Amino acid sequence: MTTTLDESPSTETTRARDVWGLSAHGVRTVAALELRQRVRSTRWVVALIVWVVVIGAITVLISGAIGQLFGTSDSSLSDEHGALLYSAVVFLVLGLGLLVTPTLSSTSVNGDRAAGTLATLQVTLLTPAEIAFGKVLASWVAACAFLVASTPFLAFAIATGSTPWVSLLRVVLIVSLLLASVCAIGLGMSALVARGAGSTVLTFVVVAATTFLAPLLFGLTYPAVSHDEQVQVWSMPASWTGEGDMTCEWTTQQRSVGHTERTWWLLAINPFVITADGAGTPASSSQGASDGDALGGLRDVVRQVRSGPTAGLNECWNDPDSFPSQDAVTAPVWPWGLAANLLLGAAGLVVAIRRLTVPRRTLPRGTRVA
Amino acid sequence: MRGVRRAFGTVQALDGVTFDARPGAVTALVGPNGCGKTTLLLVLAGLLVPDSGEARVAGLDPVTQGPSARARTGWMPDAFGTWDSLTAREVLTTFAAAYRMPGGRSRARVDELLATVHLSEYAQRPASVLSRGQKQRLGLARALVHEPQVLLLDEPASGLDPRSRVDLRLLLRRLADEGCTVLVSSHVLTELEEMCDDAVFLSRGRTIDAPAGGFGSAPGDSRRTYHVRALSFATLTGWLTSVGAAWRPDDEAAATVGDPPGAGGVHLEVAGDEGAATLVRDAVAAGVPLVSIAPATGALERAYLALEEERR
Repeated sequence: MTTTLDESPSTETTRARDVWGLSAHGVRTVAALELRQRVRSTRWVVALIVWVVVIGAITVLISGAIGQLFGTSDSSLSDEHGALLYSAVVFLVLGLGLLVTPTLSSTSVNGDRAAGTLATLQVTLLTPAEIAFGKVLASWVAACAFLVASTPFLAFAIATGSTPWVSLLRVVLIVSLLLASVCAIGLGMSALVARGAGSTVLTFVVVAATTFLAPLLFGLTYPAVSHDEQVQVWSMPASWTGEGDMTCEWTTQQRSVGHTERTWWLLAINPFVITADGAGTPASSSQGASDGDALGGLRDVVRQVRSGPTAGLNECWNDPDSFPSQDAVTAPVWPWGLAANLLLGAAGLVVAIRRLTVPRRTLPRGTRVA
Repeated sequence: MRGVRRAFGTVQALDGVTFDARPGAVTALVGPNGCGKTTLLLVLAGLLVPDSGEARVAGLDPVTQGPSARARTGWMPDAFGTWDSLTAREVLTTFAAAYRMPGGRSRARVDELLATVHLSEYAQRPASVLSRGQKQRLGLARALVHEPQVLLLDEPASGLDPRSRVDLRLLLRRLADEGCTVLVSSHVLTELEEMCDDAVFLSRGRTIDAPAGGFGSAPGDSRRTYHVRALSFATLTGWLTSVGAAWRPDDEAAATVGDPPGAGGVHLEVAGDEGAATLVRDAVAAGVPLVSIAPATGALERAYLALEEERR
């Protein structure tokens, strides 16, 4: 193939450019169109206000409940309470975000097609990629508006405890990326399915699959990855009668060992796990996260799960501190999970772009071009 | 357009469509409901790939040279939505941007178009408050934003008030005179007849040659069909036959109310207005009791009905 400057030949490269070509101008045009169309409908503003009220109310309630349950204005406990409150608000924002976001993009293609506005955009010089990216960008900006509206409450939770402020930045970044992939998945579904209700449900199914189904599968496959094996156990000597001094020793015993290093990814794609692991809450001691820091607790568990069974078990019940210390498990899991989610989103985008390409040879069942 | 075919599943929407639409002329696309008019326009607009055959729009293939062809094509679908929350001006500005027009030029173009379709006073109003006809006019303006060479209009006049129809006719005329190729589909034939130069008949996905004596004479050929009525049909036809004119009885089944018995009319080809004047003078001189003489209307309708008859 020779490179020519005339625009006549339908070479593969020009064809690819016609479909996948991206310009900031084109993406901005589509995104502005979508946002104007959406933001001006008052429902959206109402939804945002409701959101703020709900998050605010729940934050205050959680904060009050923590005070009631654990009592005291003891300053040594306030760090713990702050960490717990922060964890709760992060999970709340993420959970509600995952509930709201699919509705933002999951009807953007089939809805436009039903309204008769899609084909008129497709005949312009906007490439399919620009239309798809513009739509994702618009819904992502809308999702981020919800996220930004929740930052005051996240900040409040941080202010009550000792969680570092960098954690706020990390959480907002990670959650916004997760929501971006949900937006892109919704777009893909809306391009794939003719009816708006169907694509919304399917988007929720995908979100539910990563949030509930994958951890459930992790639990259900646990017996399958568990085998009886000979393991090193730091145990109390069998000769020890329960009185006097004793020194624990290594013994080899038959134990059921869960090889979660084979199934850890089922937990890793969970948005809550990703956020908890990436939140960067401090590890207070050698035992891991401080009390009350649910984010840190989940992080420690997941990182443990990923590394699988440790070289030795500590069953020196009488003197656990004598266990020869092993390297703390620190390999983060969230980059993998986040990448997996972003890959799902990218798949959604690719599907949408392919489905938006004109002229069409085949039409999805039950749809009209215009 | 040559031998274009397109099927949706088992439905053969287009089954060998062949025609040319001349630049500088308004071409009507005529046919019954479901004959493939909309599908044909979708192929031309670059939204559908024909199963076989080839289409050329402004000399470009909408399949392999999509963007170049689309840049020269303005398409107005029969059913289209509006972005309800956007104002008329924003809709047009967005589309100017979508056709990659520079900002300054697009503003001027949008103002010009809003004036053309008489929506200037609605420029800042959201599209949701526009009436159906106003939306239709906005849709037309949208199709014109990028000054296309080829204009594809699917039922453009539906929902328009008489004033707007006249405006539409004048606008299409002007665009055609500026060298634009205009293809208009409609099944309101009288309306099409008012604005078009050529006609393409479509039936069951096929183009059909216009029947003899039908529509579609090239401009420059000034011969037109006139409808001539006289108090005495016999006298009129007798005189016409004696002067050797080719006439056909008009198809009006019932005589116009109030006509005396024996009255009737014919259609015949006359060489323009001068020919008509000559006809009147000669007929009156020959003692034919003329009642009226006027360019025939409903030529498209007659041609169309003739097609329907052939089909049966």
